[in-house]
Amino acid sequence: MEIKLLSEHYDKKEFQSLQGYKKYGGYETLKKAFSMKPEQIISEVKDSGLRGRGGAGFPTGMKWSFLPQNGEPRYLLCNADEGEPGTFKDRLMMERAPHQLIEGMIISAYAINSAKSYIYVRGEYNYPIKVLETALREAYDSGLLGKNILGSGFNHDMDVYRGAGAYICGEETGMISSLEGKKGQPKLKPPFPAIKGYLGKPTIVNNVETLAAVKYIIRDGAKAYRKHGTEKSAGSKLFSISGNVNKPGTYEVALGYPLMDLINNECGGMKNGRKLKAVIPGGSSAPILTAEEVQKTTMDYECLAQMGSMLGSGAIIVMDDSNCMVDLLKVTLHFYHHESCGQCTPCREGTGWIHKIVSNIVSGEGRLQDIDLLEKISKQMMGRTICALSDAAAMPTLGFITKFRDEFEFYVREGRSKVKEVMAHA
Amino acid sequence: MPKLTLNGKEIEVPAGSTIIEAYKQLDEPIAHYCWHPGLSIAGVCRLCVVEIEGNPRLQIACNTQIQEGMVVNNNSEKVKTAVKWGLDFHLINHPLDCPICDQAGECELQNQYMEFGKYDPEMAEPKVKKRKVVDLGERVVLDTERCILCSRCVRFTNEVSKTNELGIFNRGDRSEVGTFEDKPLNNKYSVNTVDICPVGALTSKDFRFKQRVWYLKNKPSICTGCSTGCNVNVYYNEEGVFRVKPHYNKEVNGYWMCDEGRDIYKHINRKSRMLRGRYKQNGVWCTTQALEVAKKAGQKLSSFKGEEIAVLVTGQYTNEELNSLVDYSVNKLGSKSVFHWKNNENNWQDFDGHLIRGDKNPNTKGLQGVLQKYAVGGEWKELENQLSKFKAVVVAGPENQSVYFDIKEKIESLKSLECVVWFTAGENSNFEKLSDNSYLIPQKTSVEKNGHFTNHQGLTQKVEEVTTILPEALNLEETVSLMLGNSLDLSIRDKQEMGVLKTNYFSQERGSL
Repeated sequence: MEIKLLSEHYDKKEFQSLQGYKKYGGYETLKKAFSMKPEQIISEVKDSGLRGRGGAGFPTGMKWSFLPQNGEPRYLLCNADEGEPGTFKDRLMMERAPHQLIEGMIISAYAINSAKSYIYVRGEYNYPIKVLETALREAYDSGLLGKNILGSGFNHDMDVYRGAGAYICGEETGMISSLEGKKGQPKLKPPFPAIKGYLGKPTIVNNVETLAAVKYIIRDGAKAYRKHGTEKSAGSKLFSISGNVNKPGTYEVALGYPLMDLINNECGGMKNGRKLKAVIPGGSSAPILTAEEVQKTTMDYECLAQMGSMLGSGAIIVMDDSNCMVDLLKVTLHFYHHESCGQCTPCREGTGWIHKIVSNIVSGEGRLQDIDLLEKISKQMMGRTICALSDAAAMPTLGFITKFRDEFEFYVREGRSKVKEVMAHA
Repeated sequence: MPKLTLNGKEIEVPAGSTIIEAYKQLDEPIAHYCWHPGLSIAGVCRLCVVEIEGNPRLQIACNTQIQEGMVVNNNSEKVKTAVKWGLDFHLINHPLDCPICDQAGECELQNQYMEFGKYDPEMAEPKVKKRKVVDLGERVVLDTERCILCSRCVRFTNEVSKTNELGIFNRGDRSEVGTFEDKPLNNKYSVNTVDICPVGALTSKDFRFKQRVWYLKNKPSICTGCSTGCNVNVYYNEEGVFRVKPHYNKEVNGYWMCDEGRDIYKHINRKSRMLRGRYKQNGVWCTTQALEVAKKAGQKLSSFKGEEIAVLVTGQYTNEELNSLVDYSVNKLGSKSVFHWKNNENNWQDFDGHLIRGDKNPNTKGLQGVLQKYAVGGEWKELENQLSKFKAVVVAGPENQSVYFDIKEKIESLKSLECVVWFTAGENSNFEKLSDNSYLIPQKTSVEKNGHFTNHQGLTQKVEEVTTILPEALNLEETVSLMLGNSLDLSIRDKQEMGVLKTNYFSQERGSL
């Protein structure tokens, strides 16, 4: 069942403005936060079990506690470079509730004692950038940002930074490089950003949804937040659902919600009553699930990990029996080939290679050994690079060819798509 | 010092070392391209993978710090497979144009394939095409297809030369090294990028297509380009010297040398050398063996009184040579008029903050020491003021004439003297202007003799004979000995074909079809 925690007022136009936001209790939580000690906020976030909503699912409170206690200035970066194919929840959150994010960020900044934060927004997001900039102006004008916020003695400045359209800048160290004015490519770890990040200073990078959720954890307390979700996957999550369903869109449900319920109830079932074939549960880099697997899937970190996939950014892509898996893999690999930053050899060369092989298959020039070769290359691309982009290209490749091998073999043998052939005769 | 186990061998390494440094210390083979001890860690080639006990994922050795008790190996099947694929990823878009590539023979792609690869390639798809023969600057040519994007050259211009010309443009398998808006790579250390390039992407304009590297031998020596005294390796064969590359010395030059220093081989080779000894008699230049000229010069000098003779020295000779010449002057000729001839006095003290110094002599410190020892010395200017006092002058001229911009004027200013004895390695057309009773004695260059140079910081470094370019040439000690009337056993050298190039060298070495 859909729940309304973060998305409670997303249907109201006025929620976008400061005035409207305040009408529904906006910035009250910030006052509450200022009455608490920063450590209390961190421990509350730890207790809430909040995990990063951007893709990796790292416990937020733990990330914050990695910051060194050496008096160095810290930075807070909001990762709004929402680039994972299939993901569009952050866009909605920024468009509909910019102040929710800003409030969550000020609270988080207070907790980690940071005087400066940036919201790094995907370059193509024109409208959300405009909305955020207006909201920031409003916040500055009413003393919610700047010096001595609400008389608390806490100073904080916030800026919007616009990306230039590279997927890799959604990776936290890639984002830091880009923000520093360098070519957007991930940095070697260790050191991790919490120790040495933006401009060499300790930096925390959190997703839009994570930072917005902090507000609700402080407002209602960790216990109340934990009422939603499961033991290891606490709270609610916004899912972006696209593909062949009747009502695609962004839905907020508790973690642990069955995937079939989400498709059938919230999304109104399969489009044109077609048969479900497969689902990508966490953005294009998450390994695909077959229809049978989907029946058993609940949307939480543990279950999806157990199924050999991942929750990722919560981008659910639903496919029916008219979709050709070979074509879909080609489209996916084109994306990763295009977006690889080119730094690490296995990714730079591997993404191009597997894209070429799948393109050959689609153009009818595949060889039977290509399928095994794809598998071999993908396995060698995993866990070999600085960031996870290489894995993100290899994982779906492995998923597609192991679960839908017959379609690939047919394509190689016949030089045409099995699915399209079936569709034409139906 | 923490202890760890590498491939089953226990080793102790300094705290804070990385695993790859431990491998190097143990001299165990480990594949790598991007790691270079003189540069920051990039961690991008992903070849130096190792298995660390207790860690399910392979780690890169270059960015993993040693911890006490670590158990590491890089000879398991898992690592070998990863390295094999790592190499294949490097090679799939590489043009494999080794037959026309200048790096062949010293290429890390070739070396590491032979050591860690040896597999059947599976790439059947067309390769990515990129720019070839890109003119990067005065001294460097770039081939972006051969480039494996290890970023060593980029890091060099960022961190060592601090000139930041190079960058990697575009992304994914379209990435290319280049300069912003195609500005030239023209810094004073640019050829170091060629040295550290593990493949044939960056090649030296000066060296490319001159020699296949497997026909070159190399021996360590000292750069004579300035008073820094960079340690170098001299690459040579029987045709002469072909290039000079830096040789690591933590105290002096680290891993690097300047571009100017790389040109020193040019005045070493026959083309710019004085091939035979010469002397002028009755207005005619006579050519003969160097040792004959030395003997004649010695006889002539003995006809002057000590105070009629001036001696000019440059800091381009070894300590041993300078000592014998000054000793000869003071104790045998009886002249205390020894003068120090410097290259351009105005920028004598210049230093670029890294390696290049304005004092273009390898042994100024050594010369000063010798002058002090014999309590002699003065500047050229002092000689000019009292030139009329002298009848004869002995000049230990510069081996590298290109840095002595005033050499023409200096030669001309000595025209009026009755006798000029000039020791020189290089030819110079201005010598023709010297008057009767002038003696030109061909000298060896730094790669042809044994001795010591003392650099600007007072560090005395040894030079050893690398090769013989001119069998006839003498060093200063030999020259002085001959001038004293001693005979010199040159029988070994006589057996060498004096002054004649071994033209059949290549057919001997390369065989024929």
